[in-house]
Amino acid sequence: MLGAAITKDLLLLAGDRRALAMLFVMPVAFILVFGMFFKFGPDKDHPRPIAVWHAPGDARGQRLVANLIASESFTPRELPTAEAVRTAVVTEDVIAGVIVPADFLPGARPVELVIDEGMSLQVRGPLQGSLTGLIVRGVLGLPTPSANEPAIVVARTPPGIDRPMTNISAFQVTVPGNAVLFGFFIALSVAIGFTEERRSGTWRRSLAAPVSRATLLLAKLVPYSIVGLLQMTFLFSIGALAFGMQIAGSLVGLVLLSIAVVSCATALGLLLASLGRTEKQIGSIGPPVLLVMGMLGGCMFPRLAMPAFMQKVGLAMPHGWALDGYYALLVRPGTTVVDVLPQIGALLGFTALFALIGLSRFRFERQ
Amino acid sequence: MASVLALAGLGKDYGARRAVDAVDLVIEAGTIVGLLGPNGAGKTTTISMACGVITPTRGTAYVDGHDVWRDPRKAKRALGLVPQELALYDELSARQNLRYFGRIYGLSGTELAARIDWALGVAGLADRVDDPVSEFSGGMKRRLNLAAGVLHKPKLLILDEPTVGVDPQSRNHIFETVKTLRTEGMTVLYTSHYMEEVEALCDTVAIMDHGRLVAAGTIAELVASHGGEGLDLEVTGDAEAARTAAATLASPVAGEGQIVRLPEVQPLAPVLAAIEATGATITSIASRRGNLEGVFLALTGKALRDE
Repeated sequence: MLGAAITKDLLLLAGDRRALAMLFVMPVAFILVFGMFFKFGPDKDHPRPIAVWHAPGDARGQRLVANLIASESFTPRELPTAEAVRTAVVTEDVIAGVIVPADFLPGARPVELVIDEGMSLQVRGPLQGSLTGLIVRGVLGLPTPSANEPAIVVARTPPGIDRPMTNISAFQVTVPGNAVLFGFFIALSVAIGFTEERRSGTWRRSLAAPVSRATLLLAKLVPYSIVGLLQMTFLFSIGALAFGMQIAGSLVGLVLLSIAVVSCATALGLLLASLGRTEKQIGSIGPPVLLVMGMLGGCMFPRLAMPAFMQKVGLAMPHGWALDGYYALLVRPGTTVVDVLPQIGALLGFTALFALIGLSRFRFERQ
Repeated sequence: MASVLALAGLGKDYGARRAVDAVDLVIEAGTIVGLLGPNGAGKTTTISMACGVITPTRGTAYVDGHDVWRDPRKAKRALGLVPQELALYDELSARQNLRYFGRIYGLSGTELAARIDWALGVAGLADRVDDPVSEFSGGMKRRLNLAAGVLHKPKLLILDEPTVGVDPQSRNHIFETVKTLRTEGMTVLYTSHYMEEVEALCDTVAIMDHGRLVAAGTIAELVASHGGEGLDLEVTGDAEAARTAAATLASPVAGEGQIVRLPEVQPLAPVLAAIEATGATITSIASRRGNLEGVFLALTGKALRDE
């Protein structure tokens, strides 16, 4: 019976272009677009240009230029006048500039860091801090930083925080984000599948067959779970093969987490099916609910960048737990299955909750 | 003769509303039974309870000797339901549809393949096996709907309005198929709005109204016991008063407009006198031949075709 139902539902899905586009094509498009929007970590291949002017032959200015070249984040763009530096910042040709006066004198004639002070603190803070460090080294006559130089300051991760990968790409974030967002859209297919069976009379015909009601329900849910797993496999494979997404942690953990996500999405589908009687009802309540859940859970915008309160709200959604698990597995080397057990457990908890409510409301027989 | 379907006190309530009161019905093996009733009479609910699709509030249903609710697998294996809806997957081919429905009835392998070929032959769709159902005409879908119900060769076939909305050719095909299946030993419970189908096809007829079985028997028995035969009087003057006066001496009296519809009454003269005493004048008297439609009208007060 299960085999027949799986075959039947897979054939139906294969002929449903709208569902295929929603489950497989749309997420890839979103991954691509969001991947191009976001940038994380230092961009070694594209250091940011910083406009610089100093008097010809000025040793301080030359040391500053050398320091910018040596940094991984910046590249100097030397301009002929101090005014040209200011103009370049105003016209947004560069994000910042440095003017080293020929008659530099601390307090009276300081180095000018040309920067838009109206910029958000999250962007201006790191930028201003790093440039200030490079300027201070230059004007004080400290040598260009090298590996052999005795460290004045060193960054260290305290015990208890796993060290993330140093080369995080945007796709490490957008692939799981969209996989989870669109993975939960299988709930919509599940719910519409039930209403379609009811509308066409095939549900009535199946109820008259020598098959238990529990088996009938399972036979409707299992095929969608398989489709959900295929969808997750497809999206993470595309992420890895086409977009260079890396898996820093346990692959088994990734598989188990994905199974938990798909189970949760399928159970949510049962819940939606129990709430809506027609495809129109499901179609009107399903997508907004799933989108809001996805947004709060951090699928479109990482929860880390949200206010503290919203970060907590995100954990009221299965999406939030799923993404926490995926981020750990994708960006923190050495993440094991045990490390993501809390996320898997939370997702299974949501699965049980959705299934219980769905089953209590689901009506095999409708008047 | 053994009974294939036995309903005893079968009823269904939806909250305070009683959809089906308490139906008692026995269908003998090898017969075709017509189930008639106006819309909302409870036919589909009764059928659904008999098939195990709807849980009854009271009563029992046995199919081929098996309790539908206590021994559902055996009972359901013995019955085939052809729902009123076209219960098919439009995106799949005829063969894929039958393969799925065959497998949920436990068929597989060569047996399933043979049954599919047989059912497609029965439906007259052998040349369209791999076409998507969405490309079929309404009549072809109805025939495939029937094929899906008989695929596992059930002992009892329940047809819920199997000819609604089909072309005459497909209707005849379904009609002939049902006759053929009966000759092969299948028992059939048939609901239809088409009186001539029921009259020509069914050995016995059960009539439902307001959730109750109001009559059952052969057509001849029903016509004999529930009228149908009688007189139609055309009157001038107050026809309503004439009908009321006639009803004091004969029952049931029906009719619309200027027609007073009387059952077969003896003696007739006092009834005619009572009508004329109201001031009405009888302008014509026509003898009415008894038929199932008359029985239905007499029992439910409604014309089946108007439903």
